[in-house]
Amino acid sequence: MGYYAQIAINILILMSLAVSLNLLLGYAGRVSMAQAVLFGIGAFTAARLVLPKADASSAVAASGINYGLGWHWLPATVVAIGVTFVAALIISLPAIRLIKGEYLILLTLAFQLGGEQILSVWEGFTGGPFGVAGIPPLKIGDTSFSTLRESGTILYAGLMLVITIIVILISWGLGESPFGRLLKTIRGNETLLPSLGKNPIRPELLTFGITAAIAGGIGAFFAYSQGAMVPGNFSLDLSILVISVVVLGGTGNIAGTIVGAIILGGLEPILRQVLGDEGIPWQRVIYGAALVLMMIIRPAGLIPEGALTRIRKPKVAKSFDQNLNGAQGIQFGDFTNKRSSSPEENLSEVLVIEDIKKSFGGLSAVGGASFSLRKGQITALIGPNGAGKTTIFNMITGTLSCDSGSIKLRGRELTGMPTYEIERLGIARSFQDVRLNESMTVLDNVAVAVPNQPGEKIFNLILHPLKSRKAEKSVNQIALDCLAVLGVAQTAHELVRNLSYGDQKLVAIARLLATDCDVLLLDEPTSGVDPGSVNLVIEGVSKLRDLGKTVCLVEHSVHFVERLADHAIFLDQGVVIAEGTVAELVSSAELTELYFGN
Amino acid sequence: MNFELLAQLTIAGIVLGSFYALLGVSFGLVYQTSKIFHLANAIPFAAGGYGAVWSAEVLHLPLFVALAFGLLMAVVFGLLILFLGYFPVMRRNGALLSLFLVSLGITVAFPNLLQIVFGTENIPLRTYNSEGELSSAFDNRVFSSGFLTITLIDVLKIIVSWVLIIAVVVFVKRTRSGRSITALRTNPTMATAVGIDRKRVYILVFALGSFLAGVAGLFVTAEFVASPVMALQWTIVGFIAVFFGGIGSLVGTAFGGLVLGLLSSLSSLYLPVNYSPIVVFASLFIILLIRPQGLFGKASV
Repeated sequence: MGYYAQIAINILILMSLAVSLNLLLGYAGRVSMAQAVLFGIGAFTAARLVLPKADASSAVAASGINYGLGWHWLPATVVAIGVTFVAALIISLPAIRLIKGEYLILLTLAFQLGGEQILSVWEGFTGGPFGVAGIPPLKIGDTSFSTLRESGTILYAGLMLVITIIVILISWGLGESPFGRLLKTIRGNETLLPSLGKNPIRPELLTFGITAAIAGGIGAFFAYSQGAMVPGNFSLDLSILVISVVVLGGTGNIAGTIVGAIILGGLEPILRQVLGDEGIPWQRVIYGAALVLMMIIRPAGLIPEGALTRIRKPKVAKSFDQNLNGAQGIQFGDFTNKRSSSPEENLSEVLVIEDIKKSFGGLSAVGGASFSLRKGQITALIGPNGAGKTTIFNMITGTLSCDSGSIKLRGRELTGMPTYEIERLGIARSFQDVRLNESMTVLDNVAVAVPNQPGEKIFNLILHPLKSRKAEKSVNQIALDCLAVLGVAQTAHELVRNLSYGDQKLVAIARLLATDCDVLLLDEPTSGVDPGSVNLVIEGVSKLRDLGKTVCLVEHSVHFVERLADHAIFLDQGVVIAEGTVAELVSSAELTELYFGN
Repeated sequence: MNFELLAQLTIAGIVLGSFYALLGVSFGLVYQTSKIFHLANAIPFAAGGYGAVWSAEVLHLPLFVALAFGLLMAVVFGLLILFLGYFPVMRRNGALLSLFLVSLGITVAFPNLLQIVFGTENIPLRTYNSEGELSSAFDNRVFSSGFLTITLIDVLKIIVSWVLIIAVVVFVKRTRSGRSITALRTNPTMATAVGIDRKRVYILVFALGSFLAGVAGLFVTAEFVASPVMALQWTIVGFIAVFFGGIGSLVGTAFGGLVLGLLSSLSSLYLPVNYSPIVVFASLFIILLIRPQGLFGKASV
């Protein structure tokens, strides 16, 4: 029994580490290579705190080995969690400016390497290569959880099960909350979140911090269960094992991770039974090979994300009148994109662009374009390929900086502002490719754009769970209303990957609506859409105008532009060469030639 | 300050830095072009060392032939990883994260396979001499001049590393195949549009990168021993050299490696020798904080 209880403890520790890493790897799509050393930092911090105080008369005391501060295990665990959380935030400091995923890999890999070394040379903390021993067993009341005795080991396995369940609940709660929805949106789409007015860096770093803190806490319980440990317990191999568990089970899915931990964690004792000590390299060969094969054969893991999602019955927005009269919009309530009022609120020209320029290494992409968007109208940017239309969108939304010129939203200068701040002032954009998260539901893809959600802050999730829950209901209703405007509310609970491309385009426009911005930039809303769906897109875009939005779109289809646009701007080589109604522009022989060639 | 110690540590730093530079260029070639975080670069490193040791002992090959065999193995294993690991994932349009996870799996499986096949013991490089006995293949002579000493292998490390680095840089800048590497790195869409075969370029950079990693593996084997875990730590230092020196520039990477080696060696003036991994990590951390594009990198657009 004691033997099996020990195996159970090991598997549960691995499971907790993997479940928490899944938040980072599965939800946010980021890898930490330093889980082992963070786990170790937690373990040694807790060990050093609970070890008994040195007896002044003892000779060994002078070396400091196996002596500590004599704390109770509970505060020691809390400190271990805090220390690893702070350590993780410090490691990720350079990543704040470098939001690309490989920097987190690099930094955590380097930290794992340096950290292993720190653990083995810092004798006062870890006891050096030989580690610490004599860590007192955990006690709750009079019950001792000493793993030296069989009964204690079984008790400890029970305790570990409780802790693992807590870790699973925390991870599941965060992962399936609005915060988790933010993380999933970051995954694979680094540029999307800022365009929805949300700064991706904070949730990412916070997730890394939480993942690390959980590893630190589990480290403390590892220390109490072992009684003795060496820095070698926390090598890169362990980090990789934890990653393998997540990948094998299925990223973004906690049920998968639990299965993965049981399989890979159970492998070691089985191989040890069969092969003895020679089983250890085999175990690593197997989980290494599992990682490679999974990526090649079944990248989504044993239990793919969304496989267990219940397909709920869609309930279409009840309050929504399909025939909008323009006066009534979607009720954002508390979630409105509150914009600080600017002096020229009632200008008819909402966005004024003056002489903006951008060149790439001597090649001029936009050579001094000036135009403005009129309130409540649809303006089309047309022109041949390479005319700088998308580049201008990028400059308006701040993803590209202007070399010179000015962009004013209701009299307020936007150049130099980060993308997410510009969005918060009221400009949102769509992309040529839809940039939806395919393994999330349609509703979630739209809901993520709703501004000011309390549930996106971990602070609120913990301290105001009910308020967050209530808010989530309203957010979903807003998202559903937005989908209803575009006529795709019936798809709300489907996974995006099951939708036709035309429907995906409509969902992307619904998401734009959910930002509550009043200036909407649409980049080729009909590209790649089948002819049958083009009419739906046209209807959808005209509804945006009915709702009072100021729309600017880039589009190649003249047919589309003719039917929709109130005003058209003809660009060539980054300069405005003509402006007017679509009919006027199309009738100009010169422009037609430029556009269609000879 | 102790001048003799300073001079000796500087020489040691140049030796170490040249080696870092070699590893950095090895990984940098692959990373620049493919953006794969190719941790499995450790495999050609180890394959080079084991290839030389095995062919000398089992096939009775003379020293230089055994070394060449080791390099061949390095390239073969590097390309095997590309063909059996990365290409299948790319064919499925796998994300860079998936490619990294493949790399990770290979990195953890391979040294353990080596351990299963060759055992855990460290194997020195030995060849059969004229009497038909196995003996140490390499007489690592020590040159001394006054207070300075340097070993033959150290001298070779400096010369071979820089000759290879310069050769690679010239190849990339001057030859047609080399320029296709630069083209694919700077503008993948345009490069494929003008008919550059992405797959061919990948094969080229993986072969070159693995060759350089194999050379590094031979040095470690000749100086010390071949062991299953010989490669990973060095490989990671190679990564750090790339980001420390500046991504996108092989010359920047090479000088980054050199500076990293010097820092690491000179730090032992003030710190115990076994602190050098910590110094390397701290240097990377500080550079990324104050100069995200790397020491010699150009600011990105």
